[in-house]
Amino acid sequence: MRFVVCVKHALDESELKIDAGGKPQLEGAPAKMGTFDKNAVEEALRLRTALGGEVVAMTVGRAEARKSLKEALAMGADRGVHVVTEPRVLDPSRTSELLAAAIARTGPYDVIICSEGSSDTYTGLVPPMVAERLGYPYVGYARKLEVTAQVVKAERSLEESLESVESPLPTVVSVVSEINEPRYPTLIQIMQASKKPVEEFQVDQLAITGSTPPTVILSMTSQSSNRKRVLIEGTPDEAAQKLLGALEKEGVLSS
Amino acid sequence: MALNLPLFNAEHKVLLETFYPSNHDEYSEILTFLGGFMEKEIMPLSPKFDLGQESIGPSRKRLLENGFCQIPYPPEYGGLGLPFSVYANAIELLGAADASIALSVEIHNAVTEGISRFGSGEQKTRHLPSLMLGKELASFTLTEPGSGSDARTVRTTAKLSNGEYAINGSKTFITNAGEADLYMVFARTEKGPSCFLVEAPNPGMKFGVDMKKLGMRGSRTSEITFEDCRVPIQNLVGIEGEGIDYATQILHGARIVVAALNVGISQLAYEKALGYSKQRNTFGRPISEFQLTREKIADMKINISAGRLLYFYASHLKESGVDYSSEAAQAKVFATEMSLKVCDAAIQLYGGYGYTTDELHRHWRDARLLTIGEGTSEVLRLLIASRELARTA
Repeated sequence: MRFVVCVKHALDESELKIDAGGKPQLEGAPAKMGTFDKNAVEEALRLRTALGGEVVAMTVGRAEARKSLKEALAMGADRGVHVVTEPRVLDPSRTSELLAAAIARTGPYDVIICSEGSSDTYTGLVPPMVAERLGYPYVGYARKLEVTAQVVKAERSLEESLESVESPLPTVVSVVSEINEPRYPTLIQIMQASKKPVEEFQVDQLAITGSTPPTVILSMTSQSSNRKRVLIEGTPDEAAQKLLGALEKEGVLSS
Repeated sequence: MALNLPLFNAEHKVLLETFYPSNHDEYSEILTFLGGFMEKEIMPLSPKFDLGQESIGPSRKRLLENGFCQIPYPPEYGGLGLPFSVYANAIELLGAADASIALSVEIHNAVTEGISRFGSGEQKTRHLPSLMLGKELASFTLTEPGSGSDARTVRTTAKLSNGEYAINGSKTFITNAGEADLYMVFARTEKGPSCFLVEAPNPGMKFGVDMKKLGMRGSRTSEITFEDCRVPIQNLVGIEGEGIDYATQILHGARIVVAALNVGISQLAYEKALGYSKQRNTFGRPISEFQLTREKIADMKINISAGRLLYFYASHLKESGVDYSSEAAQAKVFATEMSLKVCDAAIQLYGGYGYTTDELHRHWRDARLLTIGEGTSEVLRLLIASRELARTA
């Protein structure tokens, strides 16, 4: 069984600085493997242990994205595929186009595993777009996976319900973080990861036509929330009554 | 308390670049990983270890399973073959993440060091791989109720008869006692103090109660009594009568590690105080704006940077194969004493909250051990001075 797991060298959301105008400073911001991508890698490794076969870690991004690929290799992926691109933040359509082309080129694979979304931009668009481009079924937001020689059985975590589905192979799956607890690599695995093979593709090698991304980011701003700073005074009983009234007024509690 | 993370920071990177121009990337990668692991898996539990609400056992086990102790040892026994400085740096990070685990691991790995340097081929094959991955936990058993820095006066005896040594006597202040699977025990034979391995459980080995300590409360410390504790002749490490020489050499390396551990404790206390000085207002402005606060911040920083440079320098000498005993002692004396100053200044900056908050004063309590353990500051000053006087004789 062959698995490919797609990882993103995402901006480290915990290290992101916001400038005076409220814009996140993307240039030079530290990056790391997307938080949920580790769950995708873990799931691929778990399936490989159960079913045998190979796990290929794949990424699209600048040269520094190799770090995230290496992390997936340290966790236990067998080899890597790196599609080298220049801009750091790509449009999901473009990313999915490059991933699908690299999957087609290096495949065939039985299961393509992605995470529910990247921990920086979190559009969640890439996995279904990859499936669409490859003409494969898509099973999104899986919190439990079982793979047999013919099918993927998944329990999907939807907002207010769970859904059990079955899909023929090959298929694209996205997983949610509750699916597993990602392992830590050992130090020796980290050191050996640099010896594992990584195949590199330039964009023109994948015969992709047209370079204008269909979506353009016009602006990116940080969310801000202001506290109301309401001070309630009085004896404890009075203050409790006032607090109750204030919460009801805000619609937090219904009267 | 706001913290300035990551544990493995830009200063460490620059030092590694300076000492290892061609391999620093790999070392930084390993230490970045270890720092991240500790931030997530160890630091949040550290206050609970101090208060005795949780055992350090599971966290220590996970850390060792990840290969922490493999760092400085040769690959033929399962080590990573990395420089000693990388190991010392890793201990600094661990000292910041949790000093009790750092102490326990430091003692454990002192035994690994002893076996790798003085053990027989069979002892190495039998113990090194499992010690390096924490499948066995070790304890270094030298100090006695009547014998500390004067280790040559060790009174515990080992008598050989019928292919077995029978060990009798008592040891005290033993870290990892009762928890460890393997004890490196120093006992006197006819030829003088010698070094033995005792595997637990052994009916001749009894443990006292867990001692109540000022700090390092996550690590277990107790007495051990040996009563006709029998070990096969193969458990003698190296040559009979050479035990004190082995212990001395193991302790030279351990002193670098203790220096690094104290730099780690200091770094964390400093970061907490630095953050607090910007938040805490007095007379209408943050205390960080007062000159006397700034003096403290500067002195803390100078001390920590100097301590770090000293342990890196001593590590580098150890790797180069030259005598580093004086430099290791210098690093240890300086780092352990400055650590008390830094942690004390942190408490002072926190004021009443510093004196009443475990989360802050535990750093001073943890650091307080180490001007005593692994060679007192007094004895180490004698060593440094005697080296200097001999050098100029």
